[in-house]
Amino acid sequence: MSDLPGSLSWLWKGCSLLIILFMVACSTPDNHAIRFGLANAPISLDPRFATDATSARINRLLYQRLVDFDEQFRVVPSLADWQRINNTRYRFTLRDVGRLFENGEHLTATDVKATYDYILDAGNASPHRGSLLNIKDIVVIDDNTVDFMLNNADPLFPSFLVIGIVPASVATQGQVLNKYSIGSGAFRFVDWPGNDQLIIERRRDKQRIEFIHVQDTTVRVLKLIRGEVDMLQNDLPKELVRYLEKRESIDVDHLMGNNFSYLGFNLQDPLLADKRIRQAIAHALNKKSLILFLLGGETVSANTLLTPDHWAGLKTSQSYDYNPEFARQLLKSAGYHQSHPLQLEYKTSSDPFRIRIATIIQQQLAEVGIKVRLRSFDWATFYGDIKAGRFQMYSLSWVGIKNPEIFRYVFHSESIPPKGANRGRYSSTVVDELITKAELSVDADQRVKYYQQLQQQLLQDLPYVPLWYEEHFMATNKNISGYQLVKDGNYDGLNQVMKKL
Amino acid sequence: MLRFILARLFSTIIVVFGVACLVFLLIHLVPGDPVDMMLGENAQMADRQALREALGLNQPVGIQLLNYFVHLLQGDLGTSLHSREPVVQILAERIPATVELAIASLLISCLIAFPLGIIAALNKGRAWDKTAMGVSMLGVSVPNFLLGPVLILVFSIYLGWLPVSGRDGLVSMILPAVTLGTALAAVLSRMIRSTLLEVLHEDFIRTARAKGDSYYQVVIRHALPNAMLPIITLLGLQLGVLLGGAVITETVFSWPGIGKLTIDSIMKRDYPVIQACVLLISLTYVVVNMLTDLVYAWIDPRIRLGQSS
Repeated sequence: MSDLPGSLSWLWKGCSLLIILFMVACSTPDNHAIRFGLANAPISLDPRFATDATSARINRLLYQRLVDFDEQFRVVPSLADWQRINNTRYRFTLRDVGRLFENGEHLTATDVKATYDYILDAGNASPHRGSLLNIKDIVVIDDNTVDFMLNNADPLFPSFLVIGIVPASVATQGQVLNKYSIGSGAFRFVDWPGNDQLIIERRRDKQRIEFIHVQDTTVRVLKLIRGEVDMLQNDLPKELVRYLEKRESIDVDHLMGNNFSYLGFNLQDPLLADKRIRQAIAHALNKKSLILFLLGGETVSANTLLTPDHWAGLKTSQSYDYNPEFARQLLKSAGYHQSHPLQLEYKTSSDPFRIRIATIIQQQLAEVGIKVRLRSFDWATFYGDIKAGRFQMYSLSWVGIKNPEIFRYVFHSESIPPKGANRGRYSSTVVDELITKAELSVDADQRVKYYQQLQQQLLQDLPYVPLWYEEHFMATNKNISGYQLVKDGNYDGLNQVMKKL
Repeated sequence: MLRFILARLFSTIIVVFGVACLVFLLIHLVPGDPVDMMLGENAQMADRQALREALGLNQPVGIQLLNYFVHLLQGDLGTSLHSREPVVQILAERIPATVELAIASLLISCLIAFPLGIIAALNKGRAWDKTAMGVSMLGVSVPNFLLGPVLILVFSIYLGWLPVSGRDGLVSMILPAVTLGTALAAVLSRMIRSTLLEVLHEDFIRTARAKGDSYYQVVIRHALPNAMLPIITLLGLQLGVLLGGAVITETVFSWPGIGKLTIDSIMKRDYPVIQACVLLISLTYVVVNMLTDLVYAWIDPRIRLGQSS
């Protein structure tokens, strides 16, 4: 090769170097760590700022919070027990577990006050401030006791104190813990080298968990099959779940969740203001076949926002069954038939799964004579449109709802955006009254009764057509054991998970 | 040479300034609110207002544009609205990954395109020509989001030679670089074939053959160097495109590059990051163009001598 011109011999040298480097530079991943595949990367490890689901779920592992929720989504003590001193004063007493911060400091009432004061300070622009506006003052009684004073009586106040506690030194110095954590949770932060790999360690047995971000669904599944990832939770289309179920080296588990999917209407639209149209749409949907063929096995048809096992959930057998004939009759009584069909526009985001669901709903509605025009937009534009009321029909989900104050936020006549999320501009004096009565009632049983009446009324009025509660599912390699799915889809199962090597 | 560089620099500044202004105005006018994206659905109006103020988004667009340029002139690219990280840090993490992938893809496309193009040119009209061009057509027709997973299936799952995705050592660069490189190779091989064919008809080629040079020597020492100019133009353009980021390949292989960063920040309406990415991409194109011109001068003595006279 001696007569090769300079540029070409360079090329050969470069290639051989590359080949040698390739053979030498194979990286060995840490086999002891449990690798958890994520569809979306976490954004912030600071519980005072994180709002996205992934960050919130990981922060649950890194930080302790004052309260938590049980199987019926009732609020229970986590870091602290509480006592209601009077209508507007709650006393929280810290328990013994979860008091050691990652930096060696001991968690005291001062840290609790500092965390919540930081959030309540409007200058810090914390997104969680809005849910805590009822707090008037926070007083430290001693190292283990702190009092919260409220502006207005709220029997459900403890359920808002779900924010992870950060050390007072962090809060008072104005430090923001975006890229690492200083918490007192069951896990401690190890490293977050790039955007796609976050490493934490379980304190009690030093088991490492690596969160690996893989956006493409097919590649995520391939990584699981090859063993580069040990477990996946959610965010896969049904055909990939079925594919994983068939493989012998993968275990798949399902559980009913509390993410509520619904069809929303604009009640100020002249067509949809007519209740018969909304009822016709409800009867035209064949939810059973949608759930059977498109969604996972543990998906459950829904009648209301709260799941039936929620303490305030609606216990009813009434529902809008699949009855296309009745739907056609309703449409006829409203003046729509074959030669004068009803035409509606259905907006959705650009998520392929949502578009698929919308296409099937479009076809089911076509069978009763409703012509639906489907329009999909990128999320930001879609969200802007529904807030502004520029829509007739849309579908979305409410994710992880535990607190029945959601009813005020979504259905009260004063909650029209930007004040709340009553995007359909629904207005009912009956519902407004029931919401207020339920919020103010001190008797727990009475409160449940009001919420039942409220949800019954909503089912009759149909500002939403309730669709279903999506299921959670889990796919793990055979050497992973002990992980339990949880109803709201969080990663608490990582407290118990084990890997056999 | 110096005057040439200065003139280029001046036009660069004007182009980049124009692009930055246009993108800034467009992205602020498009529907969609970054505050909504950050806070999600459950946030109260008061929180949105507070966040908007904290991020300076409540000021009129003109003032925001002015602030942006003032900071830019001081070298401050701002902080990401979403992760509160300085944009410079985010770019610093992503640029090396993009550069690596770009160079590797370009190398692979050269490795594929040069042999294919040379074989096709030397065997014009015959079976080899048609096969070579057919193979390169395949490279450009198969889309990246299909080729990528297929390569993963074959080389990672069935054969188990290479990792599935992620940026994890040199080995993990092979599949994404091949995915990108095969698409580029198609265009490149056609260009090599057509320029070689033109050069092979020149008189000096006939002279070299008559002197007794072998076919191989004729092509490599005489024909190819004379055909290089259009090929270098194309390589320069392709490098510019690659440095701008190959979004689909980056998504499929979880490669933390600039392309994916740009698309993600557009979706989230993360204005400072979008601005910085667009600025970077336009600067890259300009620099690559300038380098291409310099390479012309280096490789072709006619241009060098022409300038000095």
